Amino acid sequence: MAGGTLYTYPDNWRAYKPLIAAQYSGFPIKVASSPPEFQFGVTNKTSEFLKKFPLGKVPAFEGNDGFCLFESSAIAHYVGNDELRGTNRLHQAQVIQWVSFSDSHIVPPASAWVFPTLGIMQYNKQATEQAKEEIKAVLGVLDSHLKTRTFLVGERVTLADIAVTCSLLWLYKQVLEPSFRQPFGNVTRWFVTCVNQPEFRAVLGEVKLCDKMAQFDAKKFAEMQPKKETPKKEKPAKEPKKEKEEKKKATPAPAPAPAPEDDMDESEKALAAEPKSKDPYAHLPKSSFVMDEFKRKYSNEDTLAVALPYFWEHFDKEGWSIWYAEYKFPEELTQTFMSCNLITGMFQRLDKLRKTGFASVILFGTNNDSSISGVWVFRGQDLAFTLSEDWQIDYESYTWRKLDSNSEECKTLVKEYFCWEGDFKHVGKAFNQGKIFK
Amino acid sequence: MAVKELVALEKCLGLNSGKYSSRAQGAGKIPVLQTNKGPSLVGLSTIASHLVKEAKKEELLGSTAEEKAIVQQWLEYRISYIDRASSKEDIRNVLNDLNHYLKDKVFVAGNTVTLADILIYYGLHPVITGLSVQEKETYINVSRWFSHIQNYPGIRQHLPSLVFIKNRIYASNH
Repeated sequence: MAGGTLYTYPDNWRAYKPLIAAQYSGFPIKVASSPPEFQFGVTNKTSEFLKKFPLGKVPAFEGNDGFCLFESSAIAHYVGNDELRGTNRLHQAQVIQWVSFSDSHIVPPASAWVFPTLGIMQYNKQATEQAKEEIKAVLGVLDSHLKTRTFLVGERVTLADIAVTCSLLWLYKQVLEPSFRQPFGNVTRWFVTCVNQPEFRAVLGEVKLCDKMAQFDAKKFAEMQPKKETPKKEKPAKEPKKEKEEKKKATPAPAPAPAPEDDMDESEKALAAEPKSKDPYAHLPKSSFVMDEFKRKYSNEDTLAVALPYFWEHFDKEGWSIWYAEYKFPEELTQTFMSCNLITGMFQRLDKLRKTGFASVILFGTNNDSSISGVWVFRGQDLAFTLSEDWQIDYESYTWRKLDSNSEECKTLVKEYFCWEGDFKHVGKAFNQGKIFK
Repeated sequence: MAVKELVALEKCLGLNSGKYSSRAQGAGKIPVLQTNKGPSLVGLSTIASHLVKEAKKEELLGSTAEEKAIVQQWLEYRISYIDRASSKEDIRNVLNDLNHYLKDKVFVAGNTVTLADILIYYGLHPVITGLSVQEKETYINVSRWFSHIQNYPGIRQHLPSLVFIKNRIYASNH
């Protein structure tokens, strides 16, 4: 047999397909996933590599005889054997059917759901919910097919099982908790059997099914975004940044959502770019109130003596609105440090809102007896959260009340919350600590 | 019957045929194997386990301690329930047991074929032969398992291949 080399980054689920197929066929395949043979993001950008594989993507296969091939399922087909490819025309066609099915119907929703839980993609509630529904539909199809069958095609493992198993791998590892997979017992039976075949195990190791559905990991996501500036250092860099943004607006906007076929490199690139290039406030008339100027005063000068008078003097009630927000589930708040994480987590997820928003959110009370409330200032007259899907994660946990900026109540609330001092009569608990969103 | 089955197993394992006889016990007969090296062995599961070891295919007896125990459990089940099923009701009970047990399993024990799959397949073959299409669909997990095992290389031997319809026609019961 010819033998060959498979270029990939380590632990690439797409590369598992050819590697499992090679386990079945005995095709000698060498994995190049680390320097000096292959360095992801470097080797695959070289002209030498691009000459062989014009997409510059991995996994990519190069035979010892010089034969080059990209696309993981095609490589799996090549390095596999006749039994894996299907022993008659009918089976061969069915194998292609399931391989295509996994690429078109499983991989896109699986990526949309799983990537945020791994911190490699921003969480989007609607996209995740939609992906869950699509996955349910797909598992339903597989479940009724597998009710009468042991494997997807014929009575033996084929490339169909390899491809579909690999595309379900992250789902089963990360998010398909027992209650979610319960209605799809036939799929789980088949999946567990596949991953425990010696040929699969040799490549995948032990596959542990998920105990509890993983959720979006904001911290991990932030860590994986090296290009992101920390918001506090933003001020001096303000001008050049704006310029950059305007330049970007002028050029045709790239598709913001990472295409499912993209490898990690591509999705990261797409994510590093500002996801919303559109200004959600473009329709509003220019306002006389300059948020940055207020924030500068608030940060650097005495709140009561300088920042507050500045705020009321310049506040533009046509262009901006003030809101009072109260956390809906105070009885669920236990340790105060956890409650603080809840607040800062929300701020982190609202990062893109910083330019046009300001808030002071305060935790009142003590462990197991606390409440959270705050005063928010937004551009426009509506709650800002509905403007971007990325902002909709937390706000439903709060009740929002718009304040009349002329009312005494509003003046008091603004004063107390901005200064972190006062009676806070409406709360009934002592001030514990405050957080500022700016 | 049991002797024929052991001969099939020998072929499946790639062994030469041994010397068999039958001994009457109670209402039925039990197989006896005269080994070359010494004593004769009596009983289906004893002889079958011996043949597997002779062929150096011990993985067919299970890989972990638990799997080995489960293989033995189902060999015992084969003798005590499948072989002794005499009435229609007995058969129904066996099929219900297995149908329930196989719901979340592809193989009787562990994740690969074992002697338990082979001997239950042999023992169940006359039973499944007598089922209608509709009954096969009722015991859908048994049918799926049976169809898989009869297609597993080397196991079926002289037994006729039975037909299973993969697209259900009667049931909407999931």
